[in-house]
This record gives sequence, structure tokens and C-alpha cells, in this order.
Amino acid sequence: MEWFIENAWLAVALPFLMAVPTWLLGQRAKWLAPVLAATGPLLLCLVGFTAIATHGDGSHAGASVSWIPGTIDISAGWMIDGLTAIMFAVVGVVALMVVVFSIGYMHGDKGWARYFMLLSLFTGSMSLLVAADSLLILFVGWELVGACSYLLIGFWFEKPSAAAAAVKAFLVTRIGDAGLLLGLALLWREVGSFRFADIFDAVAAMPGGTLTAVALLLFMGAAGKSAQFPLHIWLPDAMEGPTPVSALIHAATMVAAGVFLIARMWPVFEASQAALVVILAIGALTALASASIALVQRDIKKVLAYSTISQLGFMFAALGAGAWGIAMFHLVTHAAFKALLFLGSGSVIHGSGTQDMHKMGGLRRVMPITAATWILGAGALAGVPPLAGFFSKDEVLHAVWGASPVAGIALGLASLMTAFYITRATCLTFFGKYRGDGHPHESDYTMTVPLMVLGIGALGLGFTGHLVAEVLGTHAESLDPVTAVLSTMIALVGIGAAWWIYREDVTADQLLQTRAGRLWDAASGGYGADTVADRMVVRPVMVGARALYERFERTIVDGAVEGFGRGVSVVGRTLASLQNGDGQWYGAMLGASVVIMLAIVWSYDAINLWAVEVISWIGG
Amino acid sequence: MIGVLVSVAVFCIGVYGVLTRRDIVGVLASIEVMLAGSMLALVAMASGADSVTGVRPLGQSIEAVVLLLMVIDAAEAAVGLALLVSVARRRGVTRIDELQEVKG
Amino acid sequence: MSFDAPTIVQIILGAIALLSAMTVVLVREIMRMAIGLGVFLLSVAGLFLLYGASFLATSEVFVYVGGVLVLMLFAIMLVQRSDSGRAVLVSRHDIGSASVALGLFVMLTVALQGVSNRFTGSAPESSMQELSEVLMGGRLVQYEIAGLLLLVALVAVIVIAGGDER
Repeated sequence: MEWFIENAWLAVALPFLMAVPTWLLGQRAKWLAPVLAATGPLLLCLVGFTAIATHGDGSHAGASVSWIPGTIDISAGWMIDGLTAIMFAVVGVVALMVVVFSIGYMHGDKGWARYFMLLSLFTGSMSLLVAADSLLILFVGWELVGACSYLLIGFWFEKPSAAAAAVKAFLVTRIGDAGLLLGLALLWREVGSFRFADIFDAVAAMPGGTLTAVALLLFMGAAGKSAQFPLHIWLPDAMEGPTPVSALIHAATMVAAGVFLIARMWPVFEASQAALVVILAIGALTALASASIALVQRDIKKVLAYSTISQLGFMFAALGAGAWGIAMFHLVTHAAFKALLFLGSGSVIHGSGTQDMHKMGGLRRVMPITAATWILGAGALAGVPPLAGFFSKDEVLHAVWGASPVAGIALGLASLMTAFYITRATCLTFFGKYRGDGHPHESDYTMTVPLMVLGIGALGLGFTGHLVAEVLGTHAESLDPVTAVLSTMIALVGIGAAWWIYREDVTADQLLQTRAGRLWDAASGGYGADTVADRMVVRPVMVGARALYERFERTIVDGAVEGFGRGVSVVGRTLASLQNGDGQWYGAMLGASVVIMLAIVWSYDAINLWAVEVISWIGG
Repeated sequence: MIGVLVSVAVFCIGVYGVLTRRDIVGVLASIEVMLAGSMLALVAMASGADSVTGVRPLGQSIEAVVLLLMVIDAAEAAVGLALLVSVARRRGVTRIDELQEVKG
Repeated sequence: MSFDAPTIVQIILGAIALLSAMTVVLVREIMRMAIGLGVFLLSVAGLFLLYGASFLATSEVFVYVGGVLVLMLFAIMLVQRSDSGRAVLVSRHDIGSASVALGLFVMLTVALQGVSNRFTGSAPESSMQELSEVLMGGRLVQYEIAGLLLLVALVAVIVIAGGDER
């Protein structure tokens, strides 16, 4: 089993290698595409679980080669430690489940092979990100997952809204990436190396201001990738992509990369108290605000999208409170139950043909497996003991309460809303009477089996807290009884209230909307974050761009380009007249070229030589 | 060494003919002149002994090469003339400037 | 430069070769061109003889004068038609061709003098026996390939020239 760890780079390379045959062969033999795409995640699972099993002591394996040798020596390498092992396992399992689920969900789609190729590429990019041994390689993986996310959000690019959402996701995360890149540059100036080990060694000697700047810049990248306020606006739109993709990229793995980044760079963040406060504040704010937005969404995927933002806020709050191990634990449990919920919503959308919860209802009778697993996931999200979310959320709440009571109260409120909105979604989808006009049906086994597997995760992962802490090498938190009781009560209150309001019908939505109209509208529009972004960023940029276009582009650039084009055209016409079809003319040009080339070769000394020698030669 | 000079001159006269003559027969004749020039150069150089070593480094094998050149040349001439006859029959053309299919 | 008998013969034969080559290239009347070609080939054969390659000289006369030239005359007579009156030399680019040929001459002279002025004097007559040993010994493969080429050319000529007789 050691072999898997010593050659863990294979798990990074294999998905990339498999992407090409997946695409090429998948078009001919349909069944081959998911099989090939599943090899990467399978190996990832193997490596991840082996590493977790054998590397509980936190020891490292890895290798590195000189990538750009010279005066600035940049190395490229991989390493596998506890953090990487856990991420490998999470990415591998979720990716595998998503590939299996997609067999049913994407059945008959004309982009079948392309879809599985992109999944394979994403798996490779994500494992590159988590297995990197230097910040630069991590950044490469970071950008690659961003590109895959772009391609998968815009997978149905014929749909204008999907194409627009893909562009929006790419651009918004780019803002964060710019920060990350600046942080990289600053670190390079300070440390002269991108390797994590070198950076951590240099932290102690770095001035506090620089450290805070680096930490905040890195957090900017993390916030963009993990959809934290104010860069969260891309994630709800990203739901335009296929639902399994949302489960994989926009719930379980890629959006958690921000959390991973901060956990990976923890020594830097640990040294900057100011950055931690910012992270805590933004995490708590994001958790609370997006939980409240999720309360009023009608689209089942939008509920889950805002829920994901909110849960990521929980993780960031835990990071800000200094408990990165707990944040990682919540990442693991969240990956399981949120992927389960997303795949469940995919099954629901597939079965009922709509995303509008007002057109669902009573689906538990026709989709029993989906309903049962969904309820398992919903319970885990709400924090019902003994499901997974209960343990990790409790630890998060406990840690944050210890760091800042205000943030703790905000998270408690967010937990209440979480329990409420997920129960509302459950009631609207699976209980009451069916309100749609289709014929919903249970999905086939390729879709229900992944649900059941993830359901086991949502059920049992809560008990792995000590294992996760041990693998990460952090201090294991034991359950705090007061927090546990309080959070259970919060969850039950939220669930009870939502059940009481929504158990029968959807009319409560209209009622609430008329009662608290303005608040409802504000929340369902995401508190106008898109409008603000539009007013403050997009429009000024557009105005500036238009001005530039008219003043600069039209006259100078276009003039240069068109002038060049005309010049080429004139030269081309002149040269074309040489091609007159006369074989003798071609021969003459051939001979002339030979003469000219020889003349160039000999022009320096041979002509002189010739002038002197040819006379004596004739004489001789 | 006059022979080499003559052979080069003959070759270049042949080049001029190939480039300027308008009738296909003339072009073929000019090609014969070019090839004769190159053969003459080979034989002329093979006839001399190396001024340092005193041996004929090219020797008999140059004559063999020239013989093979003659064979190739004869084949070329035969095929070229056959093409001329064929083109003249099918298109009524014996002038090279009337064949301009490769015009750009 | 010593004007001994071989040198004088060489100069005379070279002059004939140059003049007849120019005739081939420049003359308008197509039959005169053929006669010029014949004189040129004979002078080249004479030069071969002078350089001690008597077998090559014989071959030159047999193959070219007896073979190629006769073939050319047949072709001329086969395709001769009314356009013989039109100028065959009026060229749109004779000055350019002349400069190309002249430049080539300069270049080739430069290229070849470096090689050929290492060789001096005239070698003794080469024997038929040596040549046949070379052809049937070390160069047997080339010899056979040349034979094959001739066969292919023969077939090609029949196909090309006799193609539409059927």
C-alpha cells in the first residue's frame, strides 16, 4: 500500500491523461467515457484512503524537480501529508459519485464525451491543487479548476444565460485571483521561494505588516474561489451548469479550495491576527446573509447555492477563530452532505423536469430513495444529531464563540435559518400535494446508488472528527455539551417552525411575501449584491471601455491594423503577379535564388579570393 | 583546366536556353546542352591527377558515373519527346508559353 | 600557360562546343538547331577523347548523335506545323535569364575552381577493361538500376506517346 503514497503523483497525472481518450473514444463508444473518467477518481480514492490509514502520524512524502532552473530556481513538485490525503479522499469520493450519477443524469446529452472529459480534467486539476508542494503549482491547479469550472458552467453554451453565468463566474473569481497573484509576488519578494516549507521557515523573520498584507491577499483569492462576500455573486449563477457539476465543483471541492488554501498556508495566517479577524468577520457575515437569502428562494438549486455560500462562511469563520482543523472537518462533512443534497436535487430535477419548488410537492411518494437520502442530507445540514453536520457545526460554533461572541451569535442565527430553509425546501419538494403538471418518476440506479453512498457519509462522517484531527495533526476537540444542547435546540426550533409553516402547502410563501414584502424581495434578490456590483464595477468599466474603444481603438489600433492589412494586400497582389504560370519564369526565379543565396554565402571572402586566384588558375 | 571552364560555360548557356526558348523541342535541346556540360565537367576533372598525391582520385568510377548519367539523360530525352508528341497531338501545342496551367 | 598540342586542341574543341551550344540556344530555325546540337555533341565527344575517356566518347556519339538527336528529329517532323514561322526566341524575360545564367556561371566558376585546380596534367588513357570491372563490380547495383530505369522509360514513352492511338 505504501506504493500508492510514494507514487501519489500518478493520481494527479492519470485524470489528465485520461481526458484525451475519454473525449476521443467517448464519442464512438458511449459506455467508455464514464469508465475512463472514473479511473482518475478511483485512484484518487485509493491514494487518499491509503494515506489517511498510514499517515496518521502526519509524516510527509513527496518529490520535486527543478522546473525553471537558473538564477531564479523554481521547482515543481508534489507532496502528500494529512491535509492532502483528506482532500484526495474527499475529491476522489465525490468525483466518483458524480461520474456515476452523471451516467443517468447526462444520458442522451449531445455533449456526453466532452462532459466526461471535463470532469476528468477537473479531477486532475483539483488533485494538482491539493498535492502541490509549492504555492506556484497550487496556483496552476487553482487556475485550472477555475477554467474547468468556467467550461462546465457554460456546458450548455447554446443557452445565453449559461454562457453569461460562465463568464461571470470566471471574471468574479479572477478578481480574487488577482489578489492571490499579488500575494504570490509579495511572498516571492520576501522569501525568494514558493515552496511551502521555505515560506513557513521564513514566516518568523517577516515583518508583521507584510505578513498581514500577504495573508489578506491570499484570503482575497480564497474568498473569490469560495464565494465569500463580496465576491459571492458568481456562485448562484453558476447553477446554470449541469447539476452533478454543481455538486462536484460548486459544493464539495472547488469552492472549498479557498478553505484548503488557508489551511495549507496556516503558519502565515496564524502569524497575522488582523487577517484572522477579517476572515472571521467576513465568514460570519457571509454565513448569516446568505442563509437568510436561502430562506426565500424558489429554485431548489438556488437554495442549495446560497446554502453552500453560507456553509463556506461557517468554515471561514472557524478559520478566523484559529481552528483550521475544525474548518477542515466541516469541509469534509459538508462535502458529503452538500454533494448528497445537490445530487438529490439533480435527481428531483431529472424526475420532475423543473427546478421550481412551487411546481413540486409530494415527491416522496414517487421518489422514495431520493427523498430518504435527501432527508438524511437535510438533517445533516440542519445539524440534527447524530448526523454529520451536527458534530462539525458544533465544533465550529464552539470555536467561534470562544473567539468572538458576536460572531458566535451570528452563526447561531445562521444555523437557525439553515434548519429553517432546508426544512422548507424539503417540505416544498417532498411533502404536501404534487403541484406540477408532469409525471415525476424515481431515477434509475446509477443515480440512486451514489445518493445512498453519500447518505452513508452524511450519516457516519460526524464520528470521524478525531480521525481528521489526528491526520491533520491538530488538537482534537471533544464535544462541548452546552454547545451541543443549544445547537440541537436551534436546529429543532428551525425545523419545527418550517415544518409547521410549510408542511401542507406553498401558500405560506405568498402570505409571507405580502406580509414582509420589501424584506422578502430584498432577500430573494440577494440583497441587491448584483445590482451594486453592476453599478459600482461593471458600468464604470463599460463606460471607460467604450470611451477607449471610440478614442483609441477606432483611430489608432484600427488604423494600424487596417493599414497593415492594406500593405499586405498590395504586396500580395504584387507577388501574385510573379505567379504567372510560366514554367520558364519559375525556372529563372529558381536560378536567380540560387545565385543570390550563393552570393550571400560567399560575398565576404570568396569574391576577393576569386579575383586574385582565378587569373593564376587560368594561367596554371 | 580549360575543360572545366568550358563545361561551366556550356552549362550556363543551356540554362539560358531552358529559360528563354519558347518551343518545347528547343527547351529539350537546351537540357541536353546542360547535361553535356555537367558530364564534361566530371570527365575534365577526372582526367587530372592530384597535384599533391599524384593519383587520380576520381578515376574509372567517374567514367562509370558519366555512363549512368547518359542512360538517365537518354531516358529523360525519350520521355520528354514523348510528352511533346502527346501534347502536340492532344492540344495542338508545341510552345511552352501556351502551357500555363500553374498560373497563380 | 604553355601552348602545347593538347592545349591547342582543347581550346579549339572548347570553342566549337561553345559556339554550337549558342547556336542550339539562340537559333530560330528548328532544323538548324538540330544540326547545331549534332555539332555540339560531336565536339563534346572529341573533348572526352582528349581527356582519355575513349569509351565515353564512343558512347556519346552512339547515344546522343545516333539516338537522342535522331529521336529529336523524328519528334520535330511529327509535330511540325504552321507555327514554325512564329518567333521562338522572343522572350519577355531574356535579359533576366541572361543575368541568371551569367550569375550561375560566376558562382559555378568560383565553386569549381577551388576543387579542380588541385588536379593537374592529363592522365593516361583509361582502359575498357578497368571500366567494365568498375561497372560489373563495385557499381553493379547502379548499373542494374540504370537498366531498370531505361525499361521503365521505354514503357512510359509507349504509354505517353501511343496512348490515344487505341
